[in-house]
Amino acid sequence: MDAILKTENLVMTYRVGKVDVNALRGVNLSVGRGEFVSIMGPSGCGKSTMLHILGGLLKPTSGKVIVDGEDMADMTDAQRTDTRRRKIGFVFQRFNLFPTLTAEGNLQLAEQIHGKGKKIVDEETRREVLRLLRLENKMRHKPLELSGGEQQRVAIARAIINRPAIILADEPTGNLDSENSEIVLEMLQKLNRELNQTIVMITHNPEAAAVAARTVHMRDGMIVGEE
Amino acid sequence: MDNLVTSNIRQRPTRTLLSVAGVALGVVLIVLNTGLVEGMLNDRIRRERGVGAEIRFGRSGAMLSPSSSNPVDVRYGDQLMKIEGVKLVSPVGYYIQSGNSGLGMEIVEGVEFDSYSTITGAKIVEGRAPQTDQEVMIDEFKALHNKLSVGSDIQVFGETKKVAGIYSPQVGSRIKMPLSALQSALSADGKCFEILVKVTDPDKQDDVRKRILDKLPGNEVLLTRDIGVGVGREIPGIKGFVRAVLVLSVIVSALVILLAMYTTITERTREIGILKSLGASKGFIIGVIEKEALTISLIGVLVGLVISMIAAWVLERATTLQLEFTWSWILRAGLIGLGAGALGALYPAIRAANKDAVQALSYE
Ligand SMILES: Nc1ncnc2c1ncn2[C@@H]1O[C@H](COP(=O)(O)OP(=O)(O)OP(=O)(O)O)[C@@H](O)[C@H]1O
Ligand SMILES: [Mg+2]
Repeated sequence: MDAILKTENLVMTYRVGKVDVNALRGVNLSVGRGEFVSIMGPSGCGKSTMLHILGGLLKPTSGKVIVDGEDMADMTDAQRTDTRRRKIGFVFQRFNLFPTLTAEGNLQLAEQIHGKGKKIVDEETRREVLRLLRLENKMRHKPLELSGGEQQRVAIARAIINRPAIILADEPTGNLDSENSEIVLEMLQKLNRELNQTIVMITHNPEAAAVAARTVHMRDGMIVGEE
Repeated sequence: MDNLVTSNIRQRPTRTLLSVAGVALGVVLIVLNTGLVEGMLNDRIRRERGVGAEIRFGRSGAMLSPSSSNPVDVRYGDQLMKIEGVKLVSPVGYYIQSGNSGLGMEIVEGVEFDSYSTITGAKIVEGRAPQTDQEVMIDEFKALHNKLSVGSDIQVFGETKKVAGIYSPQVGSRIKMPLSALQSALSADGKCFEILVKVTDPDKQDDVRKRILDKLPGNEVLLTRDIGVGVGREIPGIKGFVRAVLVLSVIVSALVILLAMYTTITERTREIGILKSLGASKGFIIGVIEKEALTISLIGVLVGLVISMIAAWVLERATTLQLEFTWSWILRAGLIGLGAGALGALYPAIRAANKDAVQALSYE
């Protein structure tokens, strides 16, 4: 399979005072185009650290991170930001919508940043995304006027609206009740199938992990198994 | 992004209001002060140029900065009368006191009413000319704006005097008293500040001036028509004062915006993290914050201009202060308000742009 994301011997060491924390100790991960991968593992095993590196929010201590043909480990901060703008969509546990903007405003902001001021998202993709996420009637609402599940769906719409190469989701259902979790997971699955969207999702919940075609297990900064 | 800017401005009305007030204050400082300087200067120049004497004779170096020192011997008057082309002379004494509204300064002139009136055309329109050292006369403008009339009390030399008469038109200072009374109050017997000289033929005033300079060297001889054209605009200290006002208002505006934007970016740390996670560049983040600061500054500038206009209207009615706004100062005040806002926001903006994305995202 054609890998859209690949890490080679990824190492991340945080320095806290005089102590080194080895968050990642040589991670080799490969994700194919159009794959839906979930990542599981105990708290503190380095899942978020890895996701942040994959999305270019952090620079690894050593190793390679190849996203759609570009090695982000070699890049400057500004270059990583630019790659993130073009190729990555993030979804967080805490939704992270702009509270002062409507759902529509949140999407537009992402489109503006992605297009560097120009509008480059075509209307058809936009309509399709809103339809799949069932958000057509929610666009005028501000985050506080939406349920948690709806907020997360807006956040997913924001991540996918620019059709990034990869969506990176860090416990996207972690703040949702089981009903809303199910809806959000179902939608992620739909986006994966109908739009062939590559998704890497961290989760603590085995049921959530099950919607992904493949689950990667981590422990102590390493990948310890797959299913 | 514009949406983000305006929604942030609306979201924090108190902060927005305070920042707007800060910028507005800076603009008001500039516009009112330069308006006052301009207005008072022009008003005084108009009145000085209206005295009807083509030439003024005084002590070198002393003439352009009015002061209570009266260095000129009135007997120069007799010598001036002997010079060819001089028709009439009238000595004028000066006393400078702080304005009775507490703002600015006010000149009190001591005049010999008969000669002064002949040269300037100033006529008593109400009451009579002052005769004792307890009496003064004022012009109609002052009477109107300070609500004074014949018989009113007025403070001169820190003493209460009576308004004996009101004269018109406005020429020279707005308060006049007998020269002899001014001399004795200042213990300057036989002295005056300057001598007004009326010539027989105004076309030949240059020649008369040269003759005076020849005959009475070492003195200053000014042509009234030159006052306000170059020389007369140079009131000592004014430039420094205006500069100080400019610096002060830049500091006030920039500081207020700096503090406002600084607290804002701390509050919005997580939002900055979100922008970064969406791939926003440093330039984009600086742009968002600068746009917000500029929008607030623009509102501040407009509010400041409106307040200045209202304040000017009130001041002109309540006092004898005259304000003149010039487009160039209004424009400069606006640019200074915007510039100071942009400058004040720069440091917070750069700090925001340099925040660590992951830390910003986990900020509570
Ligand atoms: N900024 C940091 N500075 C120092 N140590 C850090 C930092 N961020 C994470 N760590 C440490 O790195 C290790 C991995 O953290 P990470 O957040 O990646 O774990 P995680 O698998 O996402 O855990 P959780 O499931 O609780 O979210 C932990 O030991 C954590 O304490
Ligand atoms: Mg985590």
